[in-house]
Amino acid sequence: MPADTVPAPDAGYVAGMVVDPLSHAHRLMRVAVGLIGGVAAIAAGLMMLTDVHAGYRVVLTVGGLVLLYFALDSGGKIVWGPLFETGLWLSVAWVAIVGLSAAFADFLPFAEARDASATIFGDTPTLKRPDLLSANPLGTDRQALDVLGGIVYGARVSLQVSVLAVAIGIIAGGTIGVVAGFFRGKLDTGVGVIVDSLLAFPPLILLLALASVMDRSPRNMAIALAVLGIPTYIRLARVSTMVFAEREFVLASRAMGASRRRIIFRELVPNVALPIFSYAFIIIAVLIVAEASLSFLGLGIQRPDPTWGNMIAAGQDDFDRHPHLVFAPGIVMFLTVFALNRVGEKARELWDPRQAKL
Amino acid sequence: MLRAIGLKLVRLVPVLIIVSLATSLLIELVPGDPILAIIGMEGDASDYERIERELGLDQNVFSRYVDWLGNIVQGDFGEQITRPGVKVADRLRQTFPVTMQIALMGMVLALLISVPVGAWAAYRAGTRFDRLSSGVAFGIISIPSFLAGLLLVFMFVFHSAIPRYGALGLGLAWSLWLLWSAGRARRDGAKQALIRVAAAVVVAGLTVWLTNRWPSFPRQGFVRWTSDDGRLENLRSAFLPAITVALTEIAVFMRLLRGDMQATLQEDYILSARAKGMPPVRILARDALRPSSFSLITLAGVAFGRLIGGTVIVEAIFRLPGMGDLIVNDGVNTGDFPVVQSGVLILATFYVVLNGAIDISYSYLDPRLRRAR
Repeated sequence: MPADTVPAPDAGYVAGMVVDPLSHAHRLMRVAVGLIGGVAAIAAGLMMLTDVHAGYRVVLTVGGLVLLYFALDSGGKIVWGPLFETGLWLSVAWVAIVGLSAAFADFLPFAEARDASATIFGDTPTLKRPDLLSANPLGTDRQALDVLGGIVYGARVSLQVSVLAVAIGIIAGGTIGVVAGFFRGKLDTGVGVIVDSLLAFPPLILLLALASVMDRSPRNMAIALAVLGIPTYIRLARVSTMVFAEREFVLASRAMGASRRRIIFRELVPNVALPIFSYAFIIIAVLIVAEASLSFLGLGIQRPDPTWGNMIAAGQDDFDRHPHLVFAPGIVMFLTVFALNRVGEKARELWDPRQAKL
Repeated sequence: MLRAIGLKLVRLVPVLIIVSLATSLLIELVPGDPILAIIGMEGDASDYERIERELGLDQNVFSRYVDWLGNIVQGDFGEQITRPGVKVADRLRQTFPVTMQIALMGMVLALLISVPVGAWAAYRAGTRFDRLSSGVAFGIISIPSFLAGLLLVFMFVFHSAIPRYGALGLGLAWSLWLLWSAGRARRDGAKQALIRVAAAVVVAGLTVWLTNRWPSFPRQGFVRWTSDDGRLENLRSAFLPAITVALTEIAVFMRLLRGDMQATLQEDYILSARAKGMPPVRILARDALRPSSFSLITLAGVAFGRLIGGTVIVEAIFRLPGMGDLIVNDGVNTGDFPVVQSGVLILATFYVVLNGAIDISYSYLDPRLRRAR
């Protein structure tokens, strides 16, 4: 849903109007029916009708999800008012789930997901179909490794690498950008040429070039991804700094005889930091995709450490008969990227003054 | 005007120098001895010397760069280290057209789909069509291209019944809707109703024809444009890769054009065109498109970089013999640096020059910019 379409206020819930109790009960009814129906359809699609053709089960599950979404949407609007953004809060919840399960992966009861030597003589079948009520809820791969466990450990790698990369990018790119935007002149021109040169490489090609010379450890991967993000941060910080440096409070501070260091650290950085941070979610999403693309090409983090990219790459050989190998990690990845984009768009709306003006 | 173009061209030079310098110095980043990393366990001293000479590692950094660049300007990209005797320049000549065809087809497809949808969404801002297309676009942006590629393979290659009968259902529904609206349009005159009935018949006919002759797409492989199998085979093998790389761009272009178009449609001259009774298609295509397309064109340059990156991915999925395949399989995986360096340099140079050209064409499109600066 785009940010600029204002959700239409529901009848009976416009501020100041008296709520008709009958319609309230009616709406609650509708929410309850939607919740129960949605959960029932999802449960039936995912767990019960195991002997029905997979296509019908997918349709049933998706239908249940849509029903559940609308029920949650109207339920949320009843409780928190007509401006409640269901999609946004679902996205926040999803990011929290992925983040927490990645953080506590070691304490969660997954079947073996990483060590292929442990499953080789085990009794877990290979290429097992997903069955939510079994020990391998999302099935197993060619080496009988648990797919769900792999997804969670993959989330850990993805999030660690891309959050670290964004942190490096913010610190390095932000510093360079603020300095260039404040001092201007030759320094600014030089930084501009370097930024242009970094942006002259198509993003994935730059990553390939870096991957050709680096050890493929998570730390190096984070550095390579940071290089990808730094030009964006330099530009953002530079432009924001230039805008704020013209403002009255900077002039006032200068008139009172503040040193340049004080102006940068006390006046500019606090103002520039927020719009830069507001881009962090979206850039994390971009970097997750970049890391996964590199892993998919076999140039990122290698097996046995599972990542979303290398799981999908390994699954593509026989995914015509075992589509869960590709689509289970794929859907989780899509939802994560989608949720981060959604949260990031809201963050920009709230914290980036340039965005708010538009 | 000429001066402005000249200035822009001059600004490209330092960027190109830094790009080539960075590519040339890439090898300095290798941890340990790069030559040992290439020859591995089996090489002997003569291999070592050959590769050292080939890479110019026996010279200092500066003269190596000058030699390398001098050779490249003369069209000599050296030989593949892992396959002595194979000229890198020949490999580039074989693979570059494949990558460019995919990227170009992707760009054309993206524009063909995104421009009408985006324009119509702007014209109908706030309606169900607008909200649906914007929502779908937001979703598509979040699909990584390798996942989109595999999804397309799953649907169009393995289970082609899904899109085939999906298209049949959608087409018939559309045609029924047209018939239904023809009934309503009767009060506007028989001609209006007749047009809709005719449209319904055409849509139904096309749908049935398409379902009958549903094309099958290959899982992998590529038929060259110049091969004996003909142009149609070439397009058939390039279609799924092209639509894969186009997907993200469709969504990005659509959102951008919708925003700009919506602003343009607020202008007075659009109002006067509407007041004169111009049909919406004419207003959108003739009056509103050009002034709304400036940021789209700028973005198209950036998008081409993403497209080239995207082709690396689809070349891996669909096993296409393009530059991404060359860089990844012949270059990075075997540590063949001349291949990586040449491939990266060619793609980056192409990208820089393209963006420079777009920058220049921009001022042709927007008369207000011609006198600026």
